[in-house]
Amino acid sequence: MTSNTSPTDISRFRGCTLTGALSVTTHVRDAVSVIHGPRGCSHHNLSLLHATGLENDRVSIPELISTGLSETDIIFGGEETLRRTLESAAGRDVRAVYVLSTCIIDTIGDDVCGVCAGDYGIPVIPVPTAGFLGGSFQDGVNNALTAIAGTAPLSRKEAGINIIGERNLEYEVEENYREIHRILTNLGLAINIRFLHTSSLDQISLLGAGRLNILREPGLVPVGEYLRQRFGTPYIASFPLGLSGTLTFIKTVSRACGVDGKRVAEEEQSLQEEILNEFSDIRGTPVVFDQTPDDPESIHAAEEAAGMLRLKFGNIANLQAIPAAPSVGTHGIRRMLHRWRRAIHA
Amino acid sequence: MKQIALYGKGGIGKSTTSANLSAALSLMDLDILQIGCDPKRDSTRMLMHGSFIPTVMDLVRTRGDAAISLSDIVFTGFNGVRCVEAGGPEPGVGCAGRGIIATFQLLEKFGDLKGDVIVYDVLGDVVCGGFAMPMREGYAQEIYLVTSGELMSLYAANNICKAIKRLASRAKSKCRLAGVICNAKGEPREEELVREFAERVNSSLVEYIPRDRVVQLAELNKKTVIEYDPASAQAARYRSLAARVMENTRMTIPTPLEIDDLEHLAYRYI
Repeated sequence: MTSNTSPTDISRFRGCTLTGALSVTTHVRDAVSVIHGPRGCSHHNLSLLHATGLENDRVSIPELISTGLSETDIIFGGEETLRRTLESAAGRDVRAVYVLSTCIIDTIGDDVCGVCAGDYGIPVIPVPTAGFLGGSFQDGVNNALTAIAGTAPLSRKEAGINIIGERNLEYEVEENYREIHRILTNLGLAINIRFLHTSSLDQISLLGAGRLNILREPGLVPVGEYLRQRFGTPYIASFPLGLSGTLTFIKTVSRACGVDGKRVAEEEQSLQEEILNEFSDIRGTPVVFDQTPDDPESIHAAEEAAGMLRLKFGNIANLQAIPAAPSVGTHGIRRMLHRWRRAIHA
Repeated sequence: MKQIALYGKGGIGKSTTSANLSAALSLMDLDILQIGCDPKRDSTRMLMHGSFIPTVMDLVRTRGDAAISLSDIVFTGFNGVRCVEAGGPEPGVGCAGRGIIATFQLLEKFGDLKGDVIVYDVLGDVVCGGFAMPMREGYAQEIYLVTSGELMSLYAANNICKAIKRLASRAKSKCRLAGVICNAKGEPREEELVREFAERVNSSLVEYIPRDRVVQLAELNKKTVIEYDPASAQAARYRSLAARVMENTRMTIPTPLEIDDLEHLAYRYI
């Protein structure tokens, strides 16, 4: 029996395990995701994925199929219904099927892995996603990445770097990726694959060739460990947050890849000074954070930027409330400072 | 309409007691419906002269519930007793408890959850919400515990008291403990022990049914004792039980025992 309790924070990144897994599997372009459960689980997620896709200028409808479980399936078990759905899904123009379980399926104990082991002509990969077992959105992401990584072949290491576990549902997912791309390009390093973000199975098959894995966030460390064991690839546990965090990231990546990052770090520091100068108009303003973010890295990065602009924090009424929500890298701080300026001048 | 349910440890004789109780009640000119709520599907077999009737869940599985009519699931047995078996999934898959709920809903849809007395014969223990269903939603309002004097049987009965107590605390619940039936194994002082257990859980012993070979003889002849040997002392016990069930107005919220107290009670009757 699981000793985990379900998360009390139901924000997008802490919520349903199934949604977390779908945020990954629906980004495989030539595959389809089968949700083994009642129709509602698929409907809800389709709506959410579609809506968040639109926020990021993606207008595609995710490839989802529901097994559409009825009361009869619950009473007698849903394995036959799953088998029929998989046969139908495999007949589509896809190269792989991901099978995601739901709460009711793990309650009645369907042998999902057993059904997936059948011969459907293409790979059928089960991803455990029953949320009531205490898993979070992040566990769903991790389970999906791990399951898909297990299908990528072992291969000879090449020069490129893998980007692991981007938050496909977050606003600014592309901006954050571009920031990493910019930093790596400055260091003379190329990206091997994004694992995964609108990826094809051919791209995913190159996963083992990456020389280094850069994880989006520390919650992906179990995935980083799995990839290290399977492919022997070292990893860095997070995208950079904050000004000094970005400089540290440059040093860490340089060291891991055996390149000289001194000049790049110096240029980055100059860029950061330029950016702070751009915002000299808000220097010294009395402010307060509008809400405290839940991770210490975000607080640290926001406080650091505020300190450099000598913003004055206090508890006096009528202070300007600014968001303590830095995005990735130096340009992530720049975007946050734009938001601060708008709040201060509002 | 009286709705009663018999609960107790597996193998303690719930189905034998239920079938004989239904048979005895039918002889009081009452319209009786007995519903077997156990995937083993053998609750009504003696009333049906040895035949295993098709179960509701088997029919749902093979035909789908839309293609089922009342005559497919309700069978008339000894002296007009109407018999239904809920059945369930293959062991090890699905959710048998949900099957019980679906069976009741199907009978309600047909308007056939009716009669002077409905007897629910429920499997060994309250293993999940589905098997507690007869006690919920206003189905069985009078719960009878079937137990012998053996500790494990008393333990199961005590557990069911916990379920009744819990369900009775719900606002609209009509579920109450109606009494304890001692289906004896033939241990010394067994009736005294079960009587004291019944009183300790805030109820009473409604009938003591001694161990008697006529029960096995009747079963081998595929009949209830009431039908096979109506003149026997055992048949008289079942008729007495039926009369007491009809007269019984003492419905209580049970006070289940702590395990130490239960063991201590059983120890005193060694």
